[in-house]
Amino acid sequence: MANIKLDIFRFDEAVDSVPHRDIVAVDVPETMTVLDALETAKAEVDGSISFRRSCRSAICGSCSMNINGVTGLACKTPCNTVMDEQGVIQVDPMPNFQPMRDLVVHMDPFWDKYTRLKPYLQPADKDEDHQTERRVSPEDMKKLVDVANCVMCATCYALCPVVSVDPSFAGPAAIAYAYRFIEDVRDSKREERLAQINEDYLWLCAHCYACSYCPKHVDPNDRIVDVKRATIKDRVMMNERGPRHALIVNKTVKQTGMLAETEVIQGTVGRFNFRGLLKVAPLGLRMAAKGKLPPPFVKPIPKVDEVRTIFDSLEVPVS
Amino acid sequence: MINHDVVVIGGGLAGMRAAVEAAERGADVAIVSKMHPVRSHSGAAQGGINAALGNREEDTPQNHAFDTAKGSDYLGDQDAIEAMCEDAPRQIIWLEHRGCIFSRLPDGRIAQRPFGGAGAPRTCYSADVTGLVILHTLWEQLERFNVKVYEEYFCTALCVEDGVGTGVVAYNMRNGELELINAKATIFATGGAGRMYAKTTNGYASTADGQAIAFRAGIPMMDMEFVQFHPTSLKENGVLLSEAARGEGAYLLNSAGERFMFKYAPNKGELASRDVVSRAEWTEILEGRGIDGCVLLDLRHLGREKILERLPQIRELALDATGKDAIDSPIPILPGMHYTMGGIETDIWGATRVPGVYAAGEVASPSVHGANRLGGNSLLETIVFGARSAKHACDYIKNVGSVKPSERTLKQEQDRIANWMGKSSGTRAPQLRAAMNKVMSDNVFIFRNEEQLQSAVDQLLEIRKQFDENVYVMDKSKTFNTDLVNTMETDYLIDSAMCVANGALARKESRGAQARTDYPERDDEKWMIHTLAWREQGKNPRLDYSRKVTITKWQPTVRTY
Repeated sequence: MANIKLDIFRFDEAVDSVPHRDIVAVDVPETMTVLDALETAKAEVDGSISFRRSCRSAICGSCSMNINGVTGLACKTPCNTVMDEQGVIQVDPMPNFQPMRDLVVHMDPFWDKYTRLKPYLQPADKDEDHQTERRVSPEDMKKLVDVANCVMCATCYALCPVVSVDPSFAGPAAIAYAYRFIEDVRDSKREERLAQINEDYLWLCAHCYACSYCPKHVDPNDRIVDVKRATIKDRVMMNERGPRHALIVNKTVKQTGMLAETEVIQGTVGRFNFRGLLKVAPLGLRMAAKGKLPPPFVKPIPKVDEVRTIFDSLEVPVS
Repeated sequence: MINHDVVVIGGGLAGMRAAVEAAERGADVAIVSKMHPVRSHSGAAQGGINAALGNREEDTPQNHAFDTAKGSDYLGDQDAIEAMCEDAPRQIIWLEHRGCIFSRLPDGRIAQRPFGGAGAPRTCYSADVTGLVILHTLWEQLERFNVKVYEEYFCTALCVEDGVGTGVVAYNMRNGELELINAKATIFATGGAGRMYAKTTNGYASTADGQAIAFRAGIPMMDMEFVQFHPTSLKENGVLLSEAARGEGAYLLNSAGERFMFKYAPNKGELASRDVVSRAEWTEILEGRGIDGCVLLDLRHLGREKILERLPQIRELALDATGKDAIDSPIPILPGMHYTMGGIETDIWGATRVPGVYAAGEVASPSVHGANRLGGNSLLETIVFGARSAKHACDYIKNVGSVKPSERTLKQEQDRIANWMGKSSGTRAPQLRAAMNKVMSDNVFIFRNEEQLQSAVDQLLEIRKQFDENVYVMDKSKTFNTDLVNTMETDYLIDSAMCVANGALARKESRGAQARTDYPERDDEKWMIHTLAWREQGKNPRLDYSRKVTITKWQPTVRTY
């Protein structure tokens, strides 16, 4: 047994203008999960402690919260892996969401990201007699099963720094869910789906890999890469800045071994997109004033062949 | 005040299947759920869903129906069983057409695995996350049909005016307001009641809500004494390890390392029906051949690859709870409360005795499971009876003009909550729930006898009285007041627990999941009848045995595996 001191974020949106914290102590086995410790605290000490929970076995996705500042499922986190020497564990609501009550947050913006995907199978055929299943190879299904493990706990969404600065970004979970339909051989709307997820700022993802911490091993970070690749492979929305930027960075690094910034700007904005170029001109002038204007042309580094060899061995053909 | 044609209470598999069916039929339908639909406990179902597709071996719906009737220890109503099994293949294909991600055979058809008590590999699956993928498929269809979901609305009461169901009262958890939701038809799909026991495979939300709400509105509970104890739950936290493990070939071992199941089920061994396996395990443990009160589930011989491909979730659940990796270590397990075969009495269309009120899924008892449910039949029941109840409801509402708003039910619920919220001292629900949990786990478990059951009945009545007189809610907030919700849930659980204990005490025989040590034989002469329990305010339920078991094809015979 251990004396666990839960240091809890307390807030009631109906009455509080600012949150406060309570420390609630419970004697529980130290292998108990943070969720069960919270449940014990609620049952035995303070009935007003509020949090969402349902399955307590990491399949319903209800109890994602910040534990010592890191987002995760409380039902999958044993106390002895997070408590400090005094037995203190800090619990807070997920970031990137508006708090409602204590650890409960408003989830609506997260669900809206799914609704925008039209998240349901749209097959070409209208097979309405339900007599036989569509044939799908085990390999094609396996790709989807890995993503289907997603329990929509929003841990990745809460961890995402891009969501924190631009809430219109679809976020890792919704992009992984888009992948589930994009890669479903039974679906007929691949192109529309790729276009939609591009409109929902797919390319804002900066690949920081914060979302690689996924309690269900869905790895939305890798699914974002897959969706970006599919976008380029299918040449969807190729006049948008996202894919153009990716391709031009790829091209200049491969050619020169360096980031040729002037060329990258032109390639991303569009060489003949005079209005777009005018928009970035003030930035260029400010850089020039500070003596930081990148050179117009970049000479390849010595042994650039070695860089190209790396590219050749890693590149996935995209067209 | 809110109005809909059809309102479905609960957003799990049965509720969503009902809502999608109603939406496809053009009804104005809404779901009222105490949580977002994808949080529902249906998602925790692991192993699979039965249908005689015959994708691996020849199979027929009639074989499926026979196995189900035998599995039910002949207490299941065979008309309902046949309806379910006949509809099963079409419903699985429906799910597949809607995008459900089933595992596949090399030729691209839906894969099937063997399950307990089944004569053929009949259980369609998606690795060991079958419930989750079906849950998502149905939620996607809600999105497609733009079905209104009253999310985080806790249904507190059923409205019945002039003998007809007229909707429900629901508590909006986000602002603490009670709302009257008028509906021409109401479908309960609130799931199970596992939380009446201390150790259960069920999540925190499985709290008998729909059962007790219907019970209080004058609808009888049926066969509540039949509680399934799943053979493989984790000792640490009660979490389920799917029957799929044994379906894929796992062994059950006692302290001597012996595969003991063949002593109890010479033909089927580990794949006997769940009541048989749980009793066998408990017998081994009682007779001193357990290990720290457990037996062992051994997957090692399946090999790493098969475990990771087909059973990844249960490997991780066992690892998280016990620190043991099933790939190289047997996992200690024991029987745990898993499923209520009984529930709201319905006919084969999910209709209750009150016109306009339906029930589907675990909350209901159309009696397809009788005295013992076969693995893989619960998901099937949710899908088949969700769809059937909505079909019947949509036909029923064609002849309903308008409904009378039940202001008196709203007032009654406002008073009930105000009473709890108004008190600042007394007994809190968690204490009463813990007392109930102990009574049930100690006295109404796998092996039962008169003395223990009588003691349970008496203690539960006392807990009921305590609750009615003394309970209060500590949290006074109107924002997401889960203390209030937990109190409601405890109120409902006590009602259901009383039905279980009273039914078990009165049924003087052993059948399926009810094993009476003082009446060890099945008694087909006296007990081929269902238990109906009617609510008596503040008293034990009144039991009624007017409903006989329906037999279409299969007369009861000796049941061996």
